Amino acid sequence: MTPLAPPLVAHPPARRLVPLLVGLTLLAPLVAVFFGVADLPLGDVAAVLTGGGSAEARSIILDIRLPRIVTGMLAGMQLATAGFLLQTITRNPLADPSLIGVSQGATLSVTLFLMIAVYSHDPTPTTLVALPWSWLPAVGMLGGLVAGGLIYLMTLRHDLGPLRLTLCGVAMGALLQALALGIVAGWGSSRMEVLLEWLSGSLYARRWEHAVFLAPFTVAGLAVLPLLRRPLELLRFESTVARSFGSAYRRDFSAVLFVSCALAASAVGAVGPIVFVGLIVPHLARKLARGHFPLVLPLTVALGAITVTVCDLLGRLLGGADEIPIGVVTALCGVPVLIALLRRTP
Amino acid sequence: MLLHARDLTVRYGQRTALSGFALQLEPGEVRALIGPNGSGKSTALQALAGLVGAAAGRVEIEGRSVFAMGRRELARHLAFLPQQPVAPDEMTVGQLVRQGRFAHVGLFKSYGPDDEATIAWALDSTGLARFAERPLNALSGGERQRAWISAALAQEARILFLDEPTTFLDIGYQVELLDLVYRLSRERGVAVVMAIHDLNQAMSVADRISVMEGGRCVFDGEPGALASSGLIERVFRVQGRFVDLAPDAPPHFDVDLLRRHSPVGLTAQSLSH
Ligand SMILES: Nc1ncnc2c1ncn2[C@@H]1O[C@H](COP(=O)(O)OP(=O)(O)O)[C@@H](O)[C@H]1O
Ligand SMILES: [Mg+2]
Repeated sequence: MTPLAPPLVAHPPARRLVPLLVGLTLLAPLVAVFFGVADLPLGDVAAVLTGGGSAEARSIILDIRLPRIVTGMLAGMQLATAGFLLQTITRNPLADPSLIGVSQGATLSVTLFLMIAVYSHDPTPTTLVALPWSWLPAVGMLGGLVAGGLIYLMTLRHDLGPLRLTLCGVAMGALLQALALGIVAGWGSSRMEVLLEWLSGSLYARRWEHAVFLAPFTVAGLAVLPLLRRPLELLRFESTVARSFGSAYRRDFSAVLFVSCALAASAVGAVGPIVFVGLIVPHLARKLARGHFPLVLPLTVALGAITVTVCDLLGRLLGGADEIPIGVVTALCGVPVLIALLRRTP
Repeated sequence: MLLHARDLTVRYGQRTALSGFALQLEPGEVRALIGPNGSGKSTALQALAGLVGAAAGRVEIEGRSVFAMGRRELARHLAFLPQQPVAPDEMTVGQLVRQGRFAHVGLFKSYGPDDEATIAWALDSTGLARFAERPLNALSGGERQRAWISAALAQEARILFLDEPTTFLDIGYQVELLDLVYRLSRERGVAVVMAIHDLNQAMSVADRISVMEGGRCVFDGEPGALASSGLIERVFRVQGRFVDLAPDAPPHFDVDLLRRHSPVGLTAQSLSH
């Protein structure tokens, strides 16, 4: 027998990235805390962070900036992870949470919900009523899960392959989106801007309850990832090959699909469909991991959090008082990144 | 008996691709599966490996039904190399071969010294030891095929199915692969079933040959018996004859080619007859 080949796991350049990314994941929110629409002196922010500070500064930091940053980070991790899982199992580099209809399902359910809420509370669309804001995350998530579930059932009736999933997902997504648009067009209420803001993906006015809503999903989602690590490696192959290597293909495919659906649906419910995070972040992670697959997932999680934090900060700083919704920032930043990545793809 | 299949029938929609297929395999036996394109060789291998649903029939490994086994357990008994497998982009040779160990390590167990040694052996067996870090999409067709063979070897199963493993290999690596198959069977007692197109290679390496035609197995026996059956010419629609090259070697099939009887001046018109 030949001497042992060097263990193939060693991958020094990629290994060195991990501390860097952990550092960035901690640094990005810290920077984001210090900057915002309200001009707080840096000293005040630091005072609040160390437990002191004026009541006004405390309120701005603890009730507005921090919950917003935390919500964004959780949503970013979830969307990026969901995108990575979907890209892996569908073997489609363009897959993201909208592929399994989650975004569109959430959009439709939020649209319906807002319409019903507005009409049942307030028949004259000129008076303002307190909209049931706190319901939106749950409603959006439910819509996303139902859409994902429907697409799964459609796929299951055939052979549960990546192509089927993509075709059913695209068809169902288009249908749900069209329905939502139809309702919006027919509705024409002044309340539409509520919906439009949610639709563009926004972290505006995200409070601790949003973070608390998301946290269980983030924790549970990240906790099952180690279980999915090896099944995911095999799901990258076509099913014949994966199964002959010993993969329980249908079971693993379904499990990964379920996890990504739950991650994406809860995130979209809480912050709206922030586009491009689920699509681009996994590609960035793959570039950084340089072919070392086990590293891609942790990188995706970290980059998801960083991307959303930084993009939201940009939106707040560039937009001034009328901040730019994060979904717009991610789209604006995402397109050039996507083009740059594509240029380097053979 | 290591593997026993009876009455296997596979349908793709209305079309029956395999009917009443039977196969028995002893430890250390090399079995060649030959037949024209579309005769059901790949289907037979996939049905035996439980990879396509059989409409009827049974496959047993040491008395246990393959269809009732979990995929991971089955993968420890049986390694299968499909005809034209596709690997994910950017995967390296080493990473591919590592997947062959999944059946042994499962979800959590990390790769031990035994696993690393097996991976090194599998790479070495196909001459790819120096290629471990190379991405698969930067290899030639033959090198890629050897990487897949290594992955199947890394599974360390006692049954090995190879679907046209020599297709992209030059004659040197074809011979090397056939020698490897022979050594695996004789030294490690691995039973090998391979679909193969080269009749003479099948005759020389196989202990037994199954001939497929239209989804049926029309011959199951030793190479010598196949030579005297006259089946080859009918099944493959060729003219030719078996000639003995050496006293105790299996006979060699010498196929008649049109050009042997056709002088250079042959006109297009006489060709059309
Ligand atoms: N996935 C499939 N769907 C439908 N028909 C198939 C499929 N795979 C193979 N067939 C058909 O089954 C028959 C046997 O194919 P196959 O087993 O691949 O033959 P071979 O490997 O001997 O060339 C062929 O007629 C082929 O067209
Ligand atoms: Mg074939």
